[in-house]
Amino acid sequence: MSGMLAVYRKEMLTYFRSPIAYFVVAVFLVGTGYFFTYNMFLTGSASMDETFRNMAILILTLLPLVSMRLFSGEYSGRTMELLMTLPLKTWEVVLGKFLGAATILLLMTLGTFIDLVPLYLFGNPHTTTIFAGYIGFILLGMACLAVGQFFSALTQNQIVAALITVPVLLSFWFIGHLQNFQVSQTLRGLFAYLSFALHYADFVQGLLRSEGVLFYLVASAIALTLNAGYLQWRR
Amino acid sequence: MNTPTAAISLESVTKRFGAKTIIHDISFSVAKGEIVGFLGPNGAGKTTTMRMIAGFTTPSTGRITVAGCDMATQNEEAAEKIGYLPEHPPLYDTLDVSQYLRFVARAKGVPRNEFKSELDRVATACRLENVLNREIYKLSKGYRQRVGLAQALLGKPEVLLLDEPTAGLDPGQIQETREVIRSFGEQHAVLLSTHVLPEVTLICSRVAIINQGRLLAIDSPVSLRRASELTNRILLTANAPADALRAELLCVAGVIAVTAHPVPGVDGMLNVECQTDAREGIEAAVARAVARRWDLHRLERQQPTLENIFLRYVSGSSPQETHQ
Repeated sequence: MSGMLAVYRKEMLTYFRSPIAYFVVAVFLVGTGYFFTYNMFLTGSASMDETFRNMAILILTLLPLVSMRLFSGEYSGRTMELLMTLPLKTWEVVLGKFLGAATILLLMTLGTFIDLVPLYLFGNPHTTTIFAGYIGFILLGMACLAVGQFFSALTQNQIVAALITVPVLLSFWFIGHLQNFQVSQTLRGLFAYLSFALHYADFVQGLLRSEGVLFYLVASAIALTLNAGYLQWRR
Repeated sequence: MNTPTAAISLESVTKRFGAKTIIHDISFSVAKGEIVGFLGPNGAGKTTTMRMIAGFTTPSTGRITVAGCDMATQNEEAAEKIGYLPEHPPLYDTLDVSQYLRFVARAKGVPRNEFKSELDRVATACRLENVLNREIYKLSKGYRQRVGLAQALLGKPEVLLLDEPTAGLDPGQIQETREVIRSFGEQHAVLLSTHVLPEVTLICSRVAIINQGRLLAIDSPVSLRRASELTNRILLTANAPADALRAELLCVAGVIAVTAHPVPGVDGMLNVECQTDAREGIEAAVARAVARRWDLHRLERQQPTLENIFLRYVSGSSPQETHQ
């Protein structure tokens, strides 16, 4: 546990000493601000639904930039040797890094709260719907980070890590569309179940379903387990 | 040879990458309070062996125990007892020195109340007081190496593994670093790899010579030197006909073999190398034999330095087995 905290603190220091975290947070907030304003004026309704959908697409492409350095950076900086020989368990390293990246996600989320100010000032939004949307957003973001972290462990080139992660995440996002082409019920069900987008849609509509929560948590857990397993195998 | 008290022990360790065998059946041990030098040319397998002892990679076959822990099953317990400086100091460039050392101390589980004293101790030992608040990417190569060493010393590990600890340091820093290692080695087990020979003679109690993944010899520097005295050499330059000189020299008791090459550009001058045994005064006998009939210009009995021994082992021309 203390080992995980040590890794976590190191990750946070590293994030804020490199420009990438600032860049990602800034681009995300500018993008979200733009979509929020656009949606507000377009629909004239005090809701975050459309904005949440846009935010999801934004993090699918931005979070790989947060996760890409997690292990690639350790390989190329030749610090992996230290990390693997310190008295740290593999899961402590994996979770410490994941929590560090998740903290950046949380900061990004907190930044979007500024959009809620005009929403509540001039409108009458559904608080529970917005709450569910944020939960969905964070869960989706965590799954994206876990997938990105796994791919980061596979290569020592950060750019390659990001370039693999983005299409993989986009595939999981759009895989739901494939169900319309399927005749078999099973395949339709499978594609719908695997879709990041369809589960997210539930949250955006205000449905906080345990199935959706579990889906993202299990997806993250699978990616992190693969990550730890790969590191162990690499020894 | 592997006593239970050995801090590091390797038993027939082999490492293969695919079909290629990098390390062939290496066995040796390092006791507490001992500094062992790991000597070999680049690519001999020093770093791979170090990595296996540190637990970064696992051997294909064989057993490694460090401080009583089997590296195959008790990797994490062992990691607490190992201080490891890899070949390239593993530094986070964006952190400053004290943040970095604090991270390592935390990861090593140094108790909270000992934090400050531990950091001070290693910073003083490695002369880092002036750069503690500087970002690591701004440091010179010598400082980077010393931050790496400081990291390894944190938490007073029982076993210290140093992969070329003095690489990139200037002579003054090398001296200081050796002192640090020497004082540390009094109560701990140290295995340091190097291709700098004087280092080994100065601080190591034993030397392991490795080449192409095979352990060629392990002994004290003094014994290795003595072992090689069996194949002493005398070099001389004389103005003489080659055949007659060779015949004359081979008559001297103790001379085993003679090779002669003409000195380029000087007519009739020969450079001669005599393989001799270790008997006393043989150079005087050789000198007398030559000077009786020809002009002797130079004669030198070559001291068996560790360098020669090393090269002899590495080039595979060593005729004798050393005792373990």
